Amino acid sequence: MDEEKLISKKEVLEKMGISYGQLYRWKRKGLIPEIWFVRRSTFTGQETFFPRDKIIERIERIKAMKDEHPLDDLAELITTQVNAKLRVALAKLERLGWLDDDLLRTCCPADASDEAVSIWQAFVLGVLSRLRRAARDEEIDLVRRTLEGERGAGLLDRVSENGLNLYLLRKRVASGGISAQISLVALTEEGAVFDPEIEVVTTVDLSTVLQRIKLDLARSDEAPSGEAPDGDGNGTPTGEGDAGRESDEREVKR
Amino acid sequence: MSEERRSVSISGSGRLGGGEYQRVAISGSGRIDGDVTAEELRISGSGRVSGRTEVGQIAISGSGKFGGAVRVDEMRVSGSAKIEGPLDAKEFKSSGSFHAEGDVAAEYFKSSGSFRVGGDVEADIFKASGGFDIDGLLSADKVEIHLGGRCAAREIGGERIHVERQRLGSLSSALLGGLAKVLTGGGVAELRTTQIEGDEIHLESTIADVVRGSRVEIGPGCHIRSVEYAETLKVHDDAVVKERKKS
Repeated sequence: MDEEKLISKKEVLEKMGISYGQLYRWKRKGLIPEIWFVRRSTFTGQETFFPRDKIIERIERIKAMKDEHPLDDLAELITTQVNAKLRVALAKLERLGWLDDDLLRTCCPADASDEAVSIWQAFVLGVLSRLRRAARDEEIDLVRRTLEGERGAGLLDRVSENGLNLYLLRKRVASGGISAQISLVALTEEGAVFDPEIEVVTTVDLSTVLQRIKLDLARSDEAPSGEAPDGDGNGTPTGEGDAGRESDEREVKR
Repeated sequence: MSEERRSVSISGSGRLGGGEYQRVAISGSGRIDGDVTAEELRISGSGRVSGRTEVGQIAISGSGKFGGAVRVDEMRVSGSAKIEGPLDAKEFKSSGSFHAEGDVAAEYFKSSGSFRVGGDVEADIFKASGGFDIDGLLSADKVEIHLGGRCAAREIGGERIHVERQRLGSLSSALLGGLAKVLTGGGVAELRTTQIEGDEIHLESTIADVVRGSRVEIGPGCHIRSVEYAETLKVHDDAVVKERKKS
């Protein structure tokens, strides 16, 4: 894995204004994944470091939400466990700019008339809507089948624990005067390297998609007010992962 | 599975299949083959569950062995217990001895006997007054240790961490101290760990590499290589701190 930017535990506490007690408590409650605790020997002894961007984003989210939700529920909302029974109102997906009738039909043909979809379906929809512009129909189907194939293997849990990227790739192969282009889909942690002949069509940060859904669910009891300046509304709905993350933060900070 | 859950008691020697029960009492020697779910499990002789255990209340005054994970609301051990899988309890109290090979999680954890844990111990409140050996991390909002023997954990972290020597009446202390030495095998009542992190830390007879905290008090008998503190630091005359850093 590539050298991620790390931040020491002490810096995290200072920067975020939290205590050791809080950090250990949040870890115990499963709000901060075990694998983010990176131990390193330094000249001052054993020290713990974290992936900088991830820990800061996570703590901001916890701080913003902890007063409204009991800690035990928070874990379910923002981390590993995904409550399979939760349903996402279509109206919400529409607001996220993810709703597309064609996609909806391919993702969840049976429920399409319903007002709500499962969290898994919302996730697939979210991923596919980010590909819609760049990908061909058969590629979209390939991605959908790849996701479905991993569903039983706990894909959602892995996404929220490790952060996974989905890559849509193309490669041209020529042989004996015939040339063909093949499409490939890869699910891997950040920083995958591909051979120079591969064209990366789109990269989707799956954890951003999932967090976006969960965040929206978490806020479901609130009145959907004060959303006017949300960049997502008038911007391109198929924006990159980063854009989604920024607006997530902005909403949470309020 | 019948609607009405059965209650079973083994008072001689017996074996029982796994399943759902109301109440299981073992007063002789008993063995449950497989997973067991029950409201109550009492072992006053010797008992063993080979699979997973999911019980409201467990009381062990003899010897109990659990081959799999244990999930329990309230567990009391006054004899001895061995748990091979992870233990997840709301309230755990032991005055005997127990050995958990995996992780232990509890809201309230109290041991006045001795115990050994192969994984981490996580609790809201952790109280120990005997001796213990934790291979992993000890993490709790409140860690309260009354040193009653050799205590060790790889790391300790939480909000408030309080470690003190067993307080004995001044008159009887010399006598009892001697007795305690014999009982605890060598008389070492101390805590050994690599690292302690907390907001409020008070330590006595603790040997550690690094202590990090906001308000830190290093009491008598401590040997600490490095203390990093944010607000205050007090060091007792009878303590050794090689390095102090305010951050």
